Amino acid sequence: MTGRRRKPQPVVVLRVPSGTEFLAAIRDTTKRVAELAGCDAATAEQVALAVDEAATNVIEHAYGGARDRFVELAFVCEPDELLVEIVDDGRPVDRRAMPRVDLGRYARERRRGGFGVHLMGRIMDRVSFRRRGRCNVCCMVKKLPAAEAREAR
Amino acid sequence: MSELSVESHEREGVVLLYPSGFINAHTVRLFEGELQKALDGGCYRIVVSGAGLRYVASAGLGALMGVIEEVRTNGGDIRIAELNDTVRNIFEMLGLNHLYRIFPSEQEAVLSFREASGRGRAPA
Repeated sequence: MTGRRRKPQPVVVLRVPSGTEFLAAIRDTTKRVAELAGCDAATAEQVALAVDEAATNVIEHAYGGARDRFVELAFVCEPDELLVEIVDDGRPVDRRAMPRVDLGRYARERRRGGFGVHLMGRIMDRVSFRRRGRCNVCCMVKKLPAAEAREAR
Repeated sequence: MSELSVESHEREGVVLLYPSGFINAHTVRLFEGELQKALDGGCYRIVVSGAGLRYVASAGLGALMGVIEEVRTNGGDIRIAELNDTVRNIFEMLGLNHLYRIFPSEQEAVLSFREASGRGRAPA
């Protein structure tokens, strides 16, 4: 064994048009990949929800509802974690500016949005946003059960 | 097969909505439309019975949040019943279980409106 970290390899790459009708394909693919990575069915369903939310944000915010663009997803299975990268070339969206979810205020203001990023953060172990060239990159990481069991010991 | 269907029935002055399938940004308009039909008909006592609901993304939760103030201002409420573990977890992650009353069964959710009427006060 050398101390060098192996470069992670995408196990699945998915490129879909920016229409919400493709969210089902994103969800189904994510759930299957998460299960193959070692997540139980309930966790895989949650990971699929987090990715659905990220893709929805791309379609609605980065692309402003335009249907002629693409959302690219790369899934990387590491021994301890599943990494999902969601890439778009839409307008930059500063999600750090998203306010903290305040349900009482949201209800009073009849707000219908603003939960997605919060859900992503609750489900995944790490969520980050950055620009790469002309693209937005959302990177989400879910620790796999083996890693969690080791940490619990 | 459609990703979402929503049946609607009325019982004892309560509108029961039965979403079946997945609610996300693609399907949410159908769910919003059924909610709005109830409100347009003057029905502000609503039970969303989620036995057939496999998955709800934030768009679906937003649909509920978008009308709850109007519903409660009119003396009604939206109550949730029969959620599977996946959907219940999503409600709990966002703290929506503190904003909406969630019942194990549809019958209990419907009866909760009758109890509120009997005590002569608006639903919680």
